[in-house]
Amino acid sequence: MNVVKAAVLRYRVMAYVTGVVLIVLCFVGIPLQVAGKPAVANDVGVVHGILYIIYLINAWILSRKLKLENKPTVIMLLAGTVPIMTFIVERWISRRFIAPALASQVPAPEPVRPG
Amino acid sequence: MSFGVTLHGMENAGTAAPSPGAVPSPSSGPSPSSGPVWRFLIQPRWLGWHLLMVVSFWGMLWLGDWQFHRALSGNALSWAYTFEWPLFAGFAVVFWAKTIRDEFRIRRGEIADPRAMAAQLPAGMGIAQASVVAGLDDGGDEDEELSAYNAYLARLNAEVKDHGRWHGLR
Repeated sequence: MNVVKAAVLRYRVMAYVTGVVLIVLCFVGIPLQVAGKPAVANDVGVVHGILYIIYLINAWILSRKLKLENKPTVIMLLAGTVPIMTFIVERWISRRFIAPALASQVPAPEPVRPG
Repeated sequence: MSFGVTLHGMENAGTAAPSPGAVPSPSSGPSPSSGPVWRFLIQPRWLGWHLLMVVSFWGMLWLGDWQFHRALSGNALSWAYTFEWPLFAGFAVVFWAKTIRDEFRIRRGEIADPRAMAAQLPAGMGIAQASVVAGLDDGGDEDEELSAYNAYLARLNAEVKDHGRWHGLR
């Protein structure tokens, strides 16, 4: 596995883990907090805070490997703070940037010499 | 709280970095536009990005300060955020400095620009369509290597498509 593929894998793992934890925080923790039980929101909130830092670093490394423009980079970094957004952005980044980058990495096949 | 040191570091990242680029060396590869390389930094687009970075940097420090005061007034959870916000502010500065450094390298031709790969895609075929060729639109579970190879073949095909014209074949 080359450097770019490893960066893609780490980004994807963190995008999904951070995304799931953020969904738990927003759709379980916050309602419980409103209902007067803030324990879940507090704990999951801290977990998401730590995961988001790891997500930021990995998303950033991938963005540098792909030499992304500023706009997709900022969108990718901020996606970790909006519920469900990491999944959507991961799909978009995959289609728009990761696939072309990996496609261009494939080395040219050996030329076939006639006769 | 005083952030003078950090701000000074940020200014270095923003304004000291251009100085190597202020001396354009003719031998350092293709330059897309005339003039010194650092000129891209004062394009309206980039000025907007600079502004966004400065505002978000101070905004994050302000949020950290706010959490610090909440922590002092007894909110234990706020201690975590007291340290997290300045960390994010630091990330912003480091990320921004490295982005600008990379941009310099690309513009000086020191490193290949992966963004140019989009331009290599077949004429009339956007990246979205190329992804369809690469099989990444239907679930994305397909083997990456195979998808990449298919996209490569599509690109290769388009590259040689009009080649016969040079030999008077078409």
